[in-house]
Amino acid sequence: MSSNPHLIIKDLHTYFHSPSRQGFVHACNGVSLDIMRGETLGIVGESGSGKSITMLSSMGLLNVGPGVVSGSCEFHSRNGAISLFPDLNSHVQLTHENGQIVQVKKDLQSWQKKTRHIMRDIWSKEIAMIFQNPRQAFNPFQTVGDQIRESIMLHTNITNKKEAKEKAYYWLEKVKIDSPKLRYENYPYGMSGGMCQRAMVAMALASQPSLLIADEPTTGLDATIQSKIVDLLFELKESLQLTLVIISHDISVISRLSDKIAVMYAGNVIEHGKADEILGESFSKRHPYTRSLLGSVPSRSNVTRTGRLPSIRGEVPDAVNTPQGCRFYDRCDAKTPAVEARCSQKNPNFSQVAAEHQCRCWLYTPEAEHA
Amino acid sequence: MKTKYLHKPLSQTNAKSRSFFKKASTRDLLYIGYGSLVVLLVLLSYLAGAFSWLPHDPDEMNLDLMMADPFVAGHLLGTDFMGRDLFSRLVLGIQAYFIPGLMAIVIALSLGTFLGVLAGYEGGKVDRAATYINNLLDSIPRMVLILLVVALFKPDVYYIMFVVGVTAAPVVALQIKNKIIYLKQKNFIESAIAIGLPKPTIIFKHILWHNCRSILIIQASLCMAEAILIETSLSYLGFGVQEPIPSWGNMVQAGANYLMQGHLWPSTAPALAILFTILGFYLLADGLNKVLEEKQ
Amino acid sequence: MDNSNVKLNVMKARTTKVVLALSKELSMTLALLFGVSVLVYTLLYFSPGDPFSSFSSGETLGTDAAESTGEKSVWVTHYLHWLSSIITGDFGTSIRSGEPVLPAVLQVTLNTLNLMFFAILITLAIALPIGIINALRNASVFSSASTLVAYVMSSLPVFWLGYIAVYISTKYFEYFPLSSSFSDSGGIDWLKFFFPVVVLGLGSGLISEIIRFVRMEVARVMDEEYIRTARAKGASVWLHAYKEALVLPVSEIVASKIPFFLGGAIIVEQIFNWQGVGRMAWQAAQDRDFPVILCITLVAALIVRGGSLLQRVIYILINPRASQENK
Repeated sequence: MSSNPHLIIKDLHTYFHSPSRQGFVHACNGVSLDIMRGETLGIVGESGSGKSITMLSSMGLLNVGPGVVSGSCEFHSRNGAISLFPDLNSHVQLTHENGQIVQVKKDLQSWQKKTRHIMRDIWSKEIAMIFQNPRQAFNPFQTVGDQIRESIMLHTNITNKKEAKEKAYYWLEKVKIDSPKLRYENYPYGMSGGMCQRAMVAMALASQPSLLIADEPTTGLDATIQSKIVDLLFELKESLQLTLVIISHDISVISRLSDKIAVMYAGNVIEHGKADEILGESFSKRHPYTRSLLGSVPSRSNVTRTGRLPSIRGEVPDAVNTPQGCRFYDRCDAKTPAVEARCSQKNPNFSQVAAEHQCRCWLYTPEAEHA
Repeated sequence: MKTKYLHKPLSQTNAKSRSFFKKASTRDLLYIGYGSLVVLLVLLSYLAGAFSWLPHDPDEMNLDLMMADPFVAGHLLGTDFMGRDLFSRLVLGIQAYFIPGLMAIVIALSLGTFLGVLAGYEGGKVDRAATYINNLLDSIPRMVLILLVVALFKPDVYYIMFVVGVTAAPVVALQIKNKIIYLKQKNFIESAIAIGLPKPTIIFKHILWHNCRSILIIQASLCMAEAILIETSLSYLGFGVQEPIPSWGNMVQAGANYLMQGHLWPSTAPALAILFTILGFYLLADGLNKVLEEKQ
Repeated sequence: MDNSNVKLNVMKARTTKVVLALSKELSMTLALLFGVSVLVYTLLYFSPGDPFSSFSSGETLGTDAAESTGEKSVWVTHYLHWLSSIITGDFGTSIRSGEPVLPAVLQVTLNTLNLMFFAILITLAIALPIGIINALRNASVFSSASTLVAYVMSSLPVFWLGYIAVYISTKYFEYFPLSSSFSDSGGIDWLKFFFPVVVLGLGSGLISEIIRFVRMEVARVMDEEYIRTARAKGASVWLHAYKEALVLPVSEIVASKIPFFLGGAIIVEQIFNWQGVGRMAWQAAQDRDFPVILCITLVAALIVRGGSLLQRVIYILINPRASQENK
């Protein structure tokens, strides 16, 4: 495990318009992530925490406006660092009020043009992404095999159709699909969810990227298939020496695969550190949300303590009219009188709680600890 | 560059009172406004024509004043090639399609609802039969069928509007059927049955009145537009109202020769009337659709 | 199993299903045409006068038959007799010309199909780009303006538009397009062909509907997950989208609007004296020449259903799932 940066996201703010809510959702509220080469980062959080949007933003795959409004995203390839948000400031005009953004002017057309121009060399070649709902993620009008072959012909040196097909067979085998030659000719609707997900992994890896982003790869699959996919990803990341970003709301998936974990809540990364520390029993300085999250995972130990499976009371805050102060405030059971005032007024910054471990909570700032 | 306002001060949102207008964009409101204006004008003109509240006698020929320009000698829109007041003739022309159009609407909506409810609610074989009938009615171009009816029976506008109504029913049926399928998916109908509501109540009160009202209004508007189009086209072709009784279609046709000679107005005035009226019904339907029906 | 064998077996299985789906569509079309014949027959039956006498099947039936006993079976027999004449091509003779109806109708139908084909091309040439652009650039000035203009164009009465076209051409270009469009050698004078085609293409009233439909479909497809995957793959988005965003919607909307183009053709042919089936229908209606108009009705239904069948074939061939579903 080297400590070379691979993908660095800094202070990302993403908004998108929600017609049903008649407002703008502040999906990413200053998200920063450091993804190192060869490492596996697990991003865990509830639905709506912004984990998928973060990665979609950095990949330039957001459809809805306004999208990314501020922040930076750098991809460190062998040849140097490339900014994935080129000249963001010249495309966006922000108006701030009380530290919050109240107005955005963004030239979507030219921004999309610019990002897509840059991403053309990165999509699949350097960073590949696999998605939830594999059957919907494949083109229903083409066979699965042909879609894998397309990736091969676009991103590798193979230009011969027959050769590419053979290579597609190779990859289908590598993701442990039986009778790859038969499965090549299948259409997406004719495959099971698990098989389709494997095929999508094959398609992503066939272009030989250095970084793979897996967005909820096991959600929607049967439990037994889930663990198989997780095992597959583990094997592949080891054998291919991939940098892996795994997004999931399922702690067990995250724990099996991750070296580092980032916990997200309501558009913020609220904890970021080594997987062993965050998941380990002994570590005491955890974010209250993380603690509650780990305590609510269905497991024997969690139930035997109180006889019931604990859940986090309350609800995720309104994404359109975000509250002032810490976003977890209403649901937090760890508030002490010393920090409570601050918690309700201001969203905390990161505090270092251990080497390579940060936590966004007023409880862990130097003043609070001495109180 | 587009401006997006991200955080509105809470005092600005008064959700309940503004719920209708909040959802509607300016454009939709404009469409609905214009359309409603047209409907109102048509209604008033129909009444004016029925009671002869016209500025001039539409048959009175003023041979000194043929093809006069608008605003000359008290003729608001000028006169036609026979010196007759265009404005009065245009207003009277509405008689040709208004009541027949209403009849077409009634037929289209009732037949369409019947077929739609059969197809959507009952499903299965009944659905297949109703769909078959729909496709059947769609198979013959409306104009061709009307010409057939004219040739076999007589060029009576009510016969024609009967055909218009019947051929417009499939569209209505499809919309109603889709709505019912949507309601089924939301378990709406299942729950209604589960709490013991009788079938007619479910169909009439809950499905049709509460959920399909807007569809019916929108389809009625579209059907009227269609009726105007057909009536004017047919009277243009010589099958509807005959001279000297004015219909917008036969007015265009009669003025056609003069158009070739450079006198554009007697033909263009009724054409514009057709344009703005049909446009009104289309825009009304579109605006209402956006506001009442379209799921974001 | 080697490559070619596997593919062959899979293709065989798939082809069988496709053939089955296609035959299903064909039988549906035939069933509908059959229904049309019944509908038309019913109209004939209830019309005053004696519409059946002009058929060589000869038997005079009409409303008098209601009185005879065994009415229902007589009705069916008569219908079948009539149907058999129709199928063998005997539509009787024209009241006006005394000539057999079917050959005359078929001859002019070709001209109308010609007219319609190019008019549809023009309508698409305008509506498609606007629809696609509006879908890709949401809510711009161009989209609102173009939508409104399209609405206005769709509300224009096509008969007036035809006259204006002739007027403008005569006045500004000193060209009068109304004389016969067929030169002596029997071909088509393309310049004169231009006018009815453009007028029908612009004035059919369908531009705004096609724009709306295409825009909706393109926007919907662009939001689909597989397009996002294509983008993330670095693949050409259009290459993945064109089937569902372009081919399917266009074939669907064109097939469903053929009846409207036919209706518009009636008027346009009348204005420009285009010797097509629309003009013949108008003439026949004026003369109460019902064998002719009857034949035209059935031919029109044939064209409509033919177009619809073609669209279904395209759908089944493009969408791999279409032949597998049990509807």
